[in-house]
Amino acid sequence: MPKACFNALLAGAVLALAVPAHAELTFSDPWLRAVPPVSPTMAGYATLNNTGEDTVIITGVSTPVAGHTMLHDVETAADGSRRMVHLHHLAIPAGESLVLAPGNRHLMLMKLTQVPAPGDSVEVCFHLNGGQDACAAFPVKRASQSDG
Amino acid sequence: MRKLPYILPVLLALLVAGCGKQESDLPVNTRLGGEFTLTDHNGEPFSQAQLKGKVSILFFGYTHCPDICPAVLARVAQVYRQLQEAGEAGQVQPVFITFDPERDTAEHLKEYLPWFKADIIGLTGSLAEIREVATQYGVVFIKDQAEQDYLFTHSDYIYLLDDQGRVRKLYPADFTIDEVVTDAKSLL
Repeated sequence: MPKACFNALLAGAVLALAVPAHAELTFSDPWLRAVPPVSPTMAGYATLNNTGEDTVIITGVSTPVAGHTMLHDVETAADGSRRMVHLHHLAIPAGESLVLAPGNRHLMLMKLTQVPAPGDSVEVCFHLNGGQDACAAFPVKRASQSDG
Repeated sequence: MRKLPYILPVLLALLVAGCGKQESDLPVNTRLGGEFTLTDHNGEPFSQAQLKGKVSILFFGYTHCPDICPAVLARVAQVYRQLQEAGEAGQVQPVFITFDPERDTAEHLKEYLPWFKADIIGLTGSLAEIREVATQYGVVFIKDQAEQDYLFTHSDYIYLLDDQGRVRKLYPADFTIDEVVTDAKSLL
């Protein structure tokens, strides 16, 4: 078999394997909160929908604009103080959605290599169990009153 | 009829009071607040007395905070803009006090805060000075040393102060913008 054909078949096989994984996790209303250009961090939000038939486990997140990206939860103590908790894994059962929202679970982008401005769009990739990635464009916007 | 000369001044006083400033229904919180001196974003000493004469929206946070603090800053900026549209922003002063003086220097606050376009005064100081002010306002903040890029566990109330620097109302971080605008106007 010619090498070019083999490579094409291989690429096709990889794509065929990758597409269902991508299809299992879809994103609704993704966005990054716009922050001042000197800001070292920013947060991201979206609704993550598992449209597949198996539980999706998110094992990590990355984006080209941040040296380090994490999933965080917010815990409220009895005295009302709140703290961030690093979520190392996040499971979304089949057919369910998980909301990342201000003051709640969210994406935390740290060590920003560049601070995207309102109107920019940033690719954010969620690393899934099994080795696949599910990526989406997160527009950067200033929050409206309803967004928090 | 002979009583009229006595009643008239009283009626006049009541009329003047009625036409004057409407007293706010917001109670004075006597447990929180008080005098303090910190360093503003220009590197100058800033005392709480300098806020007198204006209604203040005061809150604590830190600029490395990714979620809650920028959200609060954005919401306070929206309050300010609504008051600006009503022509009353000149009588209201947003104040941001950091509890992360190690990273939130006066220089950094001066670069960071103007982006919100709300004339926010940024205050920093020594950790001891900030802790004292935080205690006055019942604010808890604990540095989380476990992370390399440390975060804080912290309370996130917003304080509305009247023109005498007295605390009149507290709001949660996800406060309703219209509520704060209405309350601030009631104190003007």
